[in-house]
Amino acid sequence: MLHTIFRAFQISPTQVQQLRLGHTIRGKAPTKSRTIRERIDELNYKDEIYTTRIDIGFAAERKSNSRQEQIDHIKKMKNDKQLEQLARNHQLVIDLEESKKVWLETLGPHHKKQIADHYGVFEHLYGEGFFTPHLNLEIFYDVKDLCIPVYTGNVIKPSEAIQPPVVSYKSDADSLWTLVLTSLDGHLTEHNKEYVHWLVANIPGGDVDKGDVMIDYLQPFPLKGTGYHRYAFVLYKQDNKISYELPKVLTSSLEGRTFVTRDWYKTHQEVITPAGLAFFQTSWDLSVRDFFHNILQEKEPIYEYDFPEPYIRKQEWFPLRRPFNLYMDKYRDPKEVKKEYLLWKLKNEDPFKSPEPPLKFPNAQPLPKSMPSWLKLHEKKLRLQWGRVNDV
Amino acid sequence: MFGHKDIRFIKSLVRLNSSTPKEFVNRNPRNLERMRIGRKPDGYHLDKPGRKFWHKLAITASNRTVTAQVLHYINGPVIEAKTSEWALQKQLYSIVDTCAYINLGRVLAQRCLECGIYEMYCDLKPLEGSKVEKFLKEFENGGIKLQEPDVYKNPHPWDQYRPEKPWEVTEE
Repeated sequence: MLHTIFRAFQISPTQVQQLRLGHTIRGKAPTKSRTIRERIDELNYKDEIYTTRIDIGFAAERKSNSRQEQIDHIKKMKNDKQLEQLARNHQLVIDLEESKKVWLETLGPHHKKQIADHYGVFEHLYGEGFFTPHLNLEIFYDVKDLCIPVYTGNVIKPSEAIQPPVVSYKSDADSLWTLVLTSLDGHLTEHNKEYVHWLVANIPGGDVDKGDVMIDYLQPFPLKGTGYHRYAFVLYKQDNKISYELPKVLTSSLEGRTFVTRDWYKTHQEVITPAGLAFFQTSWDLSVRDFFHNILQEKEPIYEYDFPEPYIRKQEWFPLRRPFNLYMDKYRDPKEVKKEYLLWKLKNEDPFKSPEPPLKFPNAQPLPKSMPSWLKLHEKKLRLQWGRVNDV
Repeated sequence: MFGHKDIRFIKSLVRLNSSTPKEFVNRNPRNLERMRIGRKPDGYHLDKPGRKFWHKLAITASNRTVTAQVLHYINGPVIEAKTSEWALQKQLYSIVDTCAYINLGRVLAQRCLECGIYEMYCDLKPLEGSKVEKFLKEFENGGIKLQEPDVYKNPHPWDQYRPEKPWEVTEE
């Protein structure tokens, strides 16, 4: 009797909580457990030191108070009988170009910053730095009377960007500018570095042709199979004339083009300030192959996404109720299995004859009666092009 | 929510004798979503539908303004347009009437095209003849698809079919 009382005193508080044994199997009680959102946020939590960002750009220009003008304009619109008629008949269509012009002066820069963050442009250009592109950078590629503009993340094919684009922006005649085009994802060997595709320094006013070309324009070359690469144009305002201590690259080779914008900006941050931003995405097309063969004189690399290997559980001595041939195939060397199928395929082919037409009703062809059922199924799969036959 | 950490590409065996390295990393955070191999936040089968997307269209109307946003499942609102912003309000008679919705659709479509987001999920079920329906119609006319493709699932060797790889489809 004494013994049991002694035991009762020793029960720890955690043990007392676990009285509802049926529920503990499914995790903690709803009041105690966290939601999936909370758990994911906890996993992705980063300390303030790593998430603090620094604004390296210009502050917004202070505009004269135009609120009164806006109110007057709205009043004028409300009194416009013709406009009211249009609005009531659902025919009022606004001018998109005019609307965009106003947007660029008001909310445009902030929206551009938002989307650039979404594409991780600032993170990969400056690390913790960012800027609001208050200066509108108008860039377009001129391809056979077709003008392909660069905005913020639109897709442009590499064949459309072979020639350098036309760049324009608003500026004073006596100001100096630097224009840089870098590929954020394109580096062939070091993935945290960039290639600089174009660097024009000391541009007087808005005339890019009069600037010093430090690094000549090179067309974008997104590799086959690696998806969409970002290419970012950044316009910096200079305080005075600078000779960037960079080796000049005036040929279209990749030597000397390896670049880290963050380090470059760090050395010159006293005299340059980023003001304008435009970037585009691009994916492989045939012009990339021509670029590798004709300009780099190299074999074109081709990549494929590295999917995780499928999970295959440990092999059993006696796999009950499993088809033995399919089961064993999973544990064989995949190369060997593929070779078997390839040999089967080549066996029926004759280089001097045209291939036989495919069977019209493949399942209606009789199989010998003495054939075991697993082999019949295997034969049917070959005829219907199901499963592993597709791998060769 | 989910990080895109594993963005490695292994060079196919045929070209092993090229001078470039075997592995290549694409840092573009939107790349896997465009290539249809990124993850969508799946697994909320018992919840109200509307969570499985990369980008989603949302409209919020108030007495004073109508806001249309494109939401990303991690980054939240990435593209926005409001009828009360001066770019739209300057040319509108009213900022909450049908014309406001129609023009909002046109402006948002233009902004989406400029930002390279051409497809998005949309779970709005507007009534026939409503303002939202007209907004969606204009939005689609602007060149945006209101459906997102499914995630490409890499087939196992023992699977019956081999679906077409989206990144190998190139238009000539």
